[in-house]
Amino acid sequence: MKKGIQGILLMILLWTGLFVSSDVVSAEDGSALKRVQDEGVLVVGTSADFPPFEFYAEVDGERQVVGMDMMIAQKIADDLGVELEIQDIGFDSLLPALEARNVDIVIAGMTPTAERRKSVDFSEIYFKTFQNIMVRAEDEEVYTSLESLKGLPIGVQSGSLQEGLAEQIEDAELMSLTNLSDLLLALKTNRIEAMVMQGPNAEAHAGNDEDLHTFVGAFEMEDDDAGSAVAFRQGEDSLVAAVNESLAEIAEQNLTDEYLAVAGEYMAQSEDSEAEESGFAANYWDYFWDGTSITLLISAVSVLVGLILGFILALMRLSKSLVLKGLATAYVEFVRGTPLLIQVMFIYFASGLVVNLPALAAGIIAVSLNSGAYIAEIIRGGINSVNKGQEEAARSLGMSKKEAMRHIIFPQAVKNIWPALGNEFITIIKESSIVSVIGVGELIFQTRVVRSISFQGILPLFVAMLIYFALTFTLTKLLNFYEGRMNHD
Amino acid sequence: MIKVNHLKKSFGKNVVLKDLNEEVSQGEVVVVIGPSGSGKSTFLRCLNLLEEPTGGEIVFEGTTLTGLKEKEMNQLRQKMGMVFQQFNLFPHKTAKENLTIAPVKSKGVNQMEADNKAVKLLDQVGLGDKADAYPASLSGGQQQRVAIARALAMDPDVMLFDEPTSALDPEMVGEVLKVMKDLAKSGITMIVVTHEMGFAREVADRVLFMDDGYIVEQGTPENIFTQPAHERTQDFLAKVL
Repeated sequence: MKKGIQGILLMILLWTGLFVSSDVVSAEDGSALKRVQDEGVLVVGTSADFPPFEFYAEVDGERQVVGMDMMIAQKIADDLGVELEIQDIGFDSLLPALEARNVDIVIAGMTPTAERRKSVDFSEIYFKTFQNIMVRAEDEEVYTSLESLKGLPIGVQSGSLQEGLAEQIEDAELMSLTNLSDLLLALKTNRIEAMVMQGPNAEAHAGNDEDLHTFVGAFEMEDDDAGSAVAFRQGEDSLVAAVNESLAEIAEQNLTDEYLAVAGEYMAQSEDSEAEESGFAANYWDYFWDGTSITLLISAVSVLVGLILGFILALMRLSKSLVLKGLATAYVEFVRGTPLLIQVMFIYFASGLVVNLPALAAGIIAVSLNSGAYIAEIIRGGINSVNKGQEEAARSLGMSKKEAMRHIIFPQAVKNIWPALGNEFITIIKESSIVSVIGVGELIFQTRVVRSISFQGILPLFVAMLIYFALTFTLTKLLNFYEGRMNHD
Repeated sequence: MIKVNHLKKSFGKNVVLKDLNEEVSQGEVVVVIGPSGSGKSTFLRCLNLLEEPTGGEIVFEGTTLTGLKEKEMNQLRQKMGMVFQQFNLFPHKTAKENLTIAPVKSKGVNQMEADNKAVKLLDQVGLGDKADAYPASLSGGQQQRVAIARALAMDPDVMLFDEPTSALDPEMVGEVLKVMKDLAKSGITMIVVTHEMGFAREVADRVLFMDDGYIVEQGTPENIFTQPAHERTQDFLAKVL
């Protein structure tokens, strides 16, 4: 146990080291513009569930993040003379991703609140907006003002400006969710009575869904709160200046109107294709297919790496060396004792400080490292469960420890651990969905995308559920088949 | 062939073997008897170092085993076959594979040769028709006979038997003892821990009586069973005979 504590301390030390060095890195202020120009790429973070500002649409047969903000991003990149790369991340995770250098700037209809200004810098406001209340169409006559919502359950996107504004509704019971689609679903299923939403966004949704009705909310707002701006890491003054130049041009030529018109066409287009074709699944099959492929990729790689890592860790834990044992025990205990969600975010954001690891790679690494710890325990348990007499018999025949492990103990352990290992594989398929928080386009992520572009709350969830079940059920059958083949009893 | 000097073994504070001195010569069949907990099995397991002795030394064919390196120990173990009370057959291998795995993997015998030998040995223990059966489909008596054949497959110089019939149903004891008797006639050195007094009487060249971590008395079966000198031997025999 003492060894275990030492191991954990060691890990904490290593990590602290990581952070200390990161402070040193971020102290080199003003380097972002130079880096962008050197590499010729501007990486923009956004949260693509926010039509008409950022959302998915088909462009020349390819799925892309489009919308007004993305056109502004393109303009900025063009003005800088670099390529544009868009990273779709959950709204909650945008500012952490910015600070961890996973992205250069954030354009996501973000309001420069005083709260946010504490951690990041903002450009000039590029779009003035208003805030709406969204209610069910049937309540159009009932809820007409902020006062009429007194004491009712109100939905807001967590970490958003609207979360703060909703406090102006007297005695409101706030429900904060990351995802707008979830909030809309909550509204339609009567879990909340109204939502506070950014004006144009609310209008986009209400225009696409006859069950919804929206009106402008009479909120008291500071000037800053009434618009969207581009977010930067603190101290990147040269980049801020460059972006402000582009924004000034956009304002001068009134380009936002033009951009919004184009965005509106994309939205209409997705609506049309929906009407044209027969089924929901047919329309959005590509999204689910992409998501399923990525989920399978993450699961397969993680299981494989997890198995190798787990096997090594199990042998370390069973070894006589106290150091190896302590290290492996500390690793297993620590990983099992912390949530996968935090591990995924930690690896993605922490790695952003050192190397630019793509989200998918970071996700796979996190899930692999996590499953390694669980598989290690399964393998260790399996090896321990083999009767001691088996090793004695093997050793009495003159087999070495290694030979006995390889030919006698391990094959029997595999049989013992097979069901538990199968469970772990199934768990990984399901838990890999957590990497959607860092914007990896796996099944849950794509489901969210479909929900936001189809304006459908429940059906995409149902399809995703069926896909997950098909995956895990097939795997279960496959594992049972091999279990049967190993059985000599 | 095996010489034991001042062998001691304790598990924590529990002293199991106190001071054993013994010599077994080539071709001898030695049967070890004594009450439960007297240290018989521990003594046997110390001989091939399945248990690490706490003190004393064991010399096997001129080599001191205690303090030997892992690799040399493995090679010496190949010359000491062991049969366990619980058979300990490898459940994921067929009877034949149980016999061939160690020769092929550890001794470098080629598979064909090992297979041929395995079939012959299974014949010898009366299980020629069970070569492809998995242990789970065999009776206890059959499993123990396979286990004996498995130990013989390594061509050992000495066979150690650790209560080989204690876990068997009574009707199966006979078939295992018969195999052991045949083996004894073949001239191989055997050390047998058992409660089968009939077997001891009939087959042993020498009987050791152990109690409380010591070899209390030893002699020919005749001597031990008809004129035990020691009071503890008399007590024990009175209970079991």
